[in-house]
Amino acid sequence: MKNKYLVLVLVLALLATFAFTGCASKETEVTEPEVTEPVATEPEVPAEKVLIFARSGDSVSLDPSNATDGESFYVARSVLDTLVDYEVDNTNIIPALATSWGTINEEGTIWEFKLREGVKFHDGTDFNAEAVKFNFERWMFEDNAYRYPGENFEYWGYMFGGYPGIVKEVRVVDDYTVQIELFTPSAPFLSNLAMPSFAIMSPAAFEQYGADIFKNPVGTGPFQFVEWIKDDKIVLEKNENYWGEGPLLDKLIFRTIPDNSARLLELQAGTIDMMIGLSPDDAQIVADDPNLDLYLRPSMNVGYLAMNELKAPFDDVRVRQALNYAVDKQSIIDAFYAGLAEPAKNPLPPSLWGYNDNVEAYEYNPEKAKELLAEAGFPDGFETTLWAMPVARPYMPQPKEIATALQQQFAAVGVQAEIVTMDWATYLEKGQNGEHDTYLLGWTGDNGDPDNFIYVLLDQDNANIGSAGNVAFYKNQEVHDLLIAAQIESDQEKRAELYEKAQLIIHNDAPWVPLVHSTPPIAARTAVKNYVPHPTGGESTFWQVDIEN
Amino acid sequence: MKKKNLAEGNNEVTGLWANVFKRLKKSKTSMFGLLIVIILLFTAVFAPLMAPHDPIVGQLALRHNEPSMEYIMGTDSQGRDVFSRILYGARISVEIGIISVGIALILGTAMGVVSGYYGGKVDTIVMRFVDIMLAFPTILLALAIVTILGPSLTNAMIAVGIVNIPRFARIVRSSVLSVKENEYIEAAISIGCTDFEIITRHILPNCLAPILVQSTLTIGTAILEAAGLSFLGLGAQPPISEWGSMLADARGYMRQAPWSVMYPGVAIMITVLGFNLLGDGLRDALDPRLKE
Repeated sequence: MKNKYLVLVLVLALLATFAFTGCASKETEVTEPEVTEPVATEPEVPAEKVLIFARSGDSVSLDPSNATDGESFYVARSVLDTLVDYEVDNTNIIPALATSWGTINEEGTIWEFKLREGVKFHDGTDFNAEAVKFNFERWMFEDNAYRYPGENFEYWGYMFGGYPGIVKEVRVVDDYTVQIELFTPSAPFLSNLAMPSFAIMSPAAFEQYGADIFKNPVGTGPFQFVEWIKDDKIVLEKNENYWGEGPLLDKLIFRTIPDNSARLLELQAGTIDMMIGLSPDDAQIVADDPNLDLYLRPSMNVGYLAMNELKAPFDDVRVRQALNYAVDKQSIIDAFYAGLAEPAKNPLPPSLWGYNDNVEAYEYNPEKAKELLAEAGFPDGFETTLWAMPVARPYMPQPKEIATALQQQFAAVGVQAEIVTMDWATYLEKGQNGEHDTYLLGWTGDNGDPDNFIYVLLDQDNANIGSAGNVAFYKNQEVHDLLIAAQIESDQEKRAELYEKAQLIIHNDAPWVPLVHSTPPIAARTAVKNYVPHPTGGESTFWQVDIEN
Repeated sequence: MKKKNLAEGNNEVTGLWANVFKRLKKSKTSMFGLLIVIILLFTAVFAPLMAPHDPIVGQLALRHNEPSMEYIMGTDSQGRDVFSRILYGARISVEIGIISVGIALILGTAMGVVSGYYGGKVDTIVMRFVDIMLAFPTILLALAIVTILGPSLTNAMIAVGIVNIPRFARIVRSSVLSVKENEYIEAAISIGCTDFEIITRHILPNCLAPILVQSTLTIGTAILEAAGLSFLGLGAQPPISEWGSMLADARGYMRQAPWSVMYPGVAIMITVLGFNLLGDGLRDALDPRLKE
């Protein structure tokens, strides 16, 4: 019965539209026999498929080469492509904008990439070898004309050791062949190129937007950028001319909802379709809800407390070790991770090759901590600051709570820490400037190579004020030599050995209190299909995600 | 007032305050307000003796315990006793009330007296400045001030104090304007009293009633505003057991531990209610038109 009425209404509506359009053009051509046909086709017009993805913080920049935070990469991954990419659920390299590659000289310092033909940027210009060269030179050279004030290209520095770092030259061989020559061979080079920071943007867009490129990204990805309302949402729409498979969605919207529980309530209400930054406490609620699916991202991260060695008393190794002894990691995990984490003792996660399991973790021992502090000249402890990030991170779903717990544990050994927090972009910036005493942060691996953890986070090359990835400002020549040797070495077993040695030295120098390796939970409505959480956390699989309306 | 007592030939020498209290006693709601305020003050003073647990240090293993005999209001996400934190929170609230209202009172009264007593250009300048401040929504102005000073409990108190200056300035000014016209002021001027003497000896004492009412009412709103700032993370920083920040911290656990959200909220509500009831009662009691 109801269907009959629906059909009737549709027929009437169609008649009306026909009548009106008829009136507008030629009245005589209004014919009746066609009436039933359009009714049959009406339900086949698919509704727009929109997926709303919610997270706790907004992107810092939509130009990923100038971002270091996951929030920025989530969006960049869908708009821009890199030369090579990772498989959907691991960090093995697959072709993306480059279809094949290899080193062409004996030392392994010249890489040649064959590029995909017929790919167009969202602005309609061609993707070719010139575009690749353009982007690389922008990242490499500090005097490049397309480097705008305030742009630091931190990741380029982290991964390639400076500007231009290990990259000597980028050469255009022909329209679809590009050569990259390095000063020294680099084992993680290819894995590095798959990182979202080294995504190719349209050179024409730089002419059009200039310094505003950071809020107008133009790439070749499955989705193109529509608008960014700061601290509210970023809207992307389907790229009809995408070179790869998909996308199945018409629109992809990234919303910022800072509060974890508010985000979950919205998910349950159906106003958003997916959320990251689920409090582990709420994971059970999601698992029990028939309308929601719980996903667990494979663990490839570390959450840590960095102690700024540029500031007293953290220049004293005994103080740093004391704080390591003062922290009860297990109680923090039980309280704030609902068991979805394991205590950390190294900067590397155990899932990565090169992890040194022989390192003996600093046990929870407040007495020992007090002894060390007394030895270092602080029998009554000292006052310091504890910086806590304002947003939920995959490796730290409740930073403020964890900071409060740490504050109590430090107080138990006499160290009075004041918790300091500010907005996310400022937090990162001040951290890079070394303004903190102790600083909570973490890292989700970008490319499955240990270099991406240890070199980025603890090498002296990355302890430069203003762009530091090494926010402990830890400098050790021996570690540096080991890490550089590991970059040049191509044999993975030998590399693993070098990383194991480096981890032992780092353990003894204790620049961090390594806290946890977490397994971040993600929640989505059951209508969301084909979603695969990637270990790197850079949501790169939205091209294959579908949603049932 | 005194004149009236004399006229009635009352044998009992009742002062202004005794009289006020007598009238206050007649209103049940204001007595209830007074009771709440007294309990709050008592709690604030004796919190360390009353609190069964440490308000700052908790045991993570005991987090989100339901209310029980041991923890009568349950525990929060850090395993701290909510009841003890509420008791200590009363201290912070009283502190906020006294300090921020103190700031508003001193600066606002000074501005109001100067502007009302001298009049003319001084009056115009001071009052336009007050108008500008009044043009901002209080919480917004407080936010701006805290953002400049940096988030901390002290700065939140200062901010709340500053945003409440205009209320005092206006009220004091209008009282000064009416008091100024009295003959005893004229007399004081004629015997050569200095402006300072006139203001402190003759004008201010006669403006006391509205200031008192305003102070009581403002303590309520000040506590609320400071709690609001703390809720937004701009006031008390962890681990201070301030009610607003307790509310903010517990908000994420509304489902797992509703008690940790409920009790700080109730505490804020009751306290503000207490001050408002008392303030209203005082206003009535001090209103000269309501004299018997």
